[in-house]
Amino acid sequence: MKTKNFNTKSLKLAAAAAVVLSLTACGGASPQAGAVAPTYELTEKTAAPTGELDKLSWSLYAEPYSLDYAYAFDFPDNQVLANTCESLLRLNPDMSVSPGLATKFENPTPTTWVYTIRENVKFHDGSTMGADDVVASLKRHLDPAVGSFWYSAFANVKSIKKTSTNQVTVTTTKPDAILNESLSGAPGVIESAAFLKKAGGDYGNANGGVNCTGPFELKDWRSGEKLSFERFDGYWDTKNAAKAKELEFVVMTDPVARVNAFKSGEIDGGWMPPANAIGELDASGAGKVYFGTNSAVQSLIVTNTQGPLGNPEVRKALLMSIDRTGLVAAAEAGYAKRTNALSAESVWGAADEATQQAAFGELTDYPYDVEAAAKIIQEQGVAGQEITITTAPMGNNFAVVAQATAAAAESIGLKAVINTVTPNAYTALFSDPEARKGTDLVYTNWYLSIGDPLEMFSILRTGDFSNYGNFSDAAYDKTVNEALGTLDTDKRFAKSARAQKILNEDLPWLPLYEVPTILWMNDKITGASPSVNHLYYPWAAQIGAK
Amino acid sequence: MAQSNVATAPTPAPEPKAPGTPVAAGLKLAAGKIGSFIFTVFVSSVIVFFSRWLVPGDPINFLLRGRSPNPEAIAEVTAIYGLDKPPLEQYWHWVTGVVTGDFGRSLQYRQDVSEVILDRLPVTLGLVVMSGIMIAVLGLAAGICASLLRGTWADRAIIASMSGLAAIPSFVGAIVLIAVFAVQLGMFPSFGSGTGFWDMIYHLVLPSLALALSFIAVVGRVTRSAMLEEFAREHVEVARSRGVTPVAVVIRHVLRNALGPILTVSGLLVAGLLVSSAIVEQAFGLAGLGSLLVSSVDRLDFPVVQAIVLIVVTAFVAINTLVDLLGPVIDPRLKAGEGAR
Repeated sequence: MKTKNFNTKSLKLAAAAAVVLSLTACGGASPQAGAVAPTYELTEKTAAPTGELDKLSWSLYAEPYSLDYAYAFDFPDNQVLANTCESLLRLNPDMSVSPGLATKFENPTPTTWVYTIRENVKFHDGSTMGADDVVASLKRHLDPAVGSFWYSAFANVKSIKKTSTNQVTVTTTKPDAILNESLSGAPGVIESAAFLKKAGGDYGNANGGVNCTGPFELKDWRSGEKLSFERFDGYWDTKNAAKAKELEFVVMTDPVARVNAFKSGEIDGGWMPPANAIGELDASGAGKVYFGTNSAVQSLIVTNTQGPLGNPEVRKALLMSIDRTGLVAAAEAGYAKRTNALSAESVWGAADEATQQAAFGELTDYPYDVEAAAKIIQEQGVAGQEITITTAPMGNNFAVVAQATAAAAESIGLKAVINTVTPNAYTALFSDPEARKGTDLVYTNWYLSIGDPLEMFSILRTGDFSNYGNFSDAAYDKTVNEALGTLDTDKRFAKSARAQKILNEDLPWLPLYEVPTILWMNDKITGASPSVNHLYYPWAAQIGAK
Repeated sequence: MAQSNVATAPTPAPEPKAPGTPVAAGLKLAAGKIGSFIFTVFVSSVIVFFSRWLVPGDPINFLLRGRSPNPEAIAEVTAIYGLDKPPLEQYWHWVTGVVTGDFGRSLQYRQDVSEVILDRLPVTLGLVVMSGIMIAVLGLAAGICASLLRGTWADRAIIASMSGLAAIPSFVGAIVLIAVFAVQLGMFPSFGSGTGFWDMIYHLVLPSLALALSFIAVVGRVTRSAMLEEFAREHVEVARSRGVTPVAVVIRHVLRNALGPILTVSGLLVAGLLVSSAIVEQAFGLAGLGSLLVSSVDRLDFPVVQAIVLIVVTAFVAINTLVDLLGPVIDPRLKAGEGAR
């Protein structure tokens, strides 16, 4: 019995190792990736451009659903929108916030936020921005007929009012720590009130378009193929005026086609090229791959608490059975960092050093230990039970994570089934409880829009829409709710550190690794900051000729 | 007796009836065909519309795509898209809209379906028309050549390459064409549909060829066998013996008669073209109806799926009805059968 057990286990171990190794080899980036991870440095800013560009062409891995800021929540939507529509506040490459279309914000009482609106800012149609535009833009998030995806950011908002010609006051029902910071992203985008009224239901689609204040003006949106912009000469922020006369976003869903277009110079640049093509791109000599700050953590969401993973001990055992260091090499060609936390270190920038140390230093590590994990599975009496891992053909990392997780589960005595669905069906897992039925684990690249981990922690409170596994812990809910109502930065981050510790003990999601933001620019262009803030900052305006 | 009967029967109204009969029969045939066309499209519309309820997943959840829903917003959006009405009422609303060209609102594009489809139509039409021309020209040429050179090595070579082509799926054709003509030789662009008419044609050469390849083979083989069948007929022999030039024999006597089966096959090919275009559009990054259909199915964007499926079914049935109606016009034997000339 014992011998047999040992034999099967070592066989399964070998199988798991083989899967990881062979997938590493398939990745093709570096033959010894399993052993030596490639080194990469984070770049804060690329060299300043020396001249203008006639046209900047950029690849998108998918078409934006809409340029209506109320529905901009994914990479393609925001990458494009950030260059044409601006927010009240600006999110900087280091995730800090500075003035944008509001020159300053004040917080006279815990439930009042007063914004002073910048003067002499023009919309693309030549009209001047005023407090009425700000009120109309923000109020849309509260309109049920709009159905804003950012409704939750405004959940505590009581009123949005013009309090003088250049002042808007937002009041909340209770202190809300992250509302103000949210206004540095899509929730804070300002559009002309007259244009909103005129465009109506077509606002932000290929027909209606947008009319904002950003450095580029939308000229043409050929649905399914490309979006074309022109430099906006009336842009208020003359220091950050666009260096390219035209900007074109080309929709290229096929990763191979995208990499080919980068190498051949048909496309100037793109965010997040596939990690397994980084070696190939670097070797091509056509340009350079840059790495920068990210706010994302790659993790496995436990979506079914009725199955074996409903038991926290089983979740710990599963995490221990995954060789996360090997996974970084196999799934991301080494361009990632193993983690035990569900928030990236970059979103803790506003916290003092001691709090940062507490938030990350005191976490329990779950070292790779198949023997110990298998023992837990036996003790919990779930050996032989089945888990289903749902994945989609969306890149090498998806395939590797799914297969490595399945192999890891098998190695400790669980049964694992990989269920592959289409990319869009995969997206549906994140909105439709019906679509999640029969799925135990889902891999996700979860990024935050602001420099505060509470944006992550708030979604794991009891009953939250994105709490996919219905995780519920009274102490956790209390800690997060208190933190959300604490406007004092130090005190708030201290509470967040406690919340992070609870997640680390209970593992409602299994943290795997943090990836950097990756940027490809060919050798004709330079100037961008490779940071996740490209989702909310007019980054394309910084790019010019090398 | 018999003779007098035949002689007397037409006498009351010989003039209007004699020329009228074939026309009336033709009209009756046409009316029947058109009637069955309308019936088929109606049945399809019912199936297409109600099949949505067989698909798991709630369109509203797609609309909210992962964001925390506000219950009032869900109610509003449900009402905006008419999803709160009973299915029959939804069908009636949809079908009466379709008649006036209103296919509803796309969930993924938040735009009128008719606009979304009209945006994509030029690319797909360009693709299908260019492929159609390639298929007709190359397929007919290959088939005619093979039939004229029957039994020679050239005939065998054409048959062999036709068999090879027929076995190539369009995505493989696309990959090979991109690798050779776009990446290696740099003669054609590898993605996109270009700007302006001529640029679009230039961009669509490779995709159209990728789409046409296997259909060229089908038309080539059908043409060859239809031609051979005609060559063996007596009237061709007669024409030849009367000293009609070989070119005239081929065009006037053989090809004209062989067109019937070729036309029938071509009608069926149209459906194949529309289906295969999805794959080719994907490979070449073209925003056409095919890629739109694929993404719409995936995203539960049912108003777009219903519209495209209905349009494709209608186009398919319409083309086949047209082929049926054209058959007697083109085929001289059917005309001759009326015994007038």
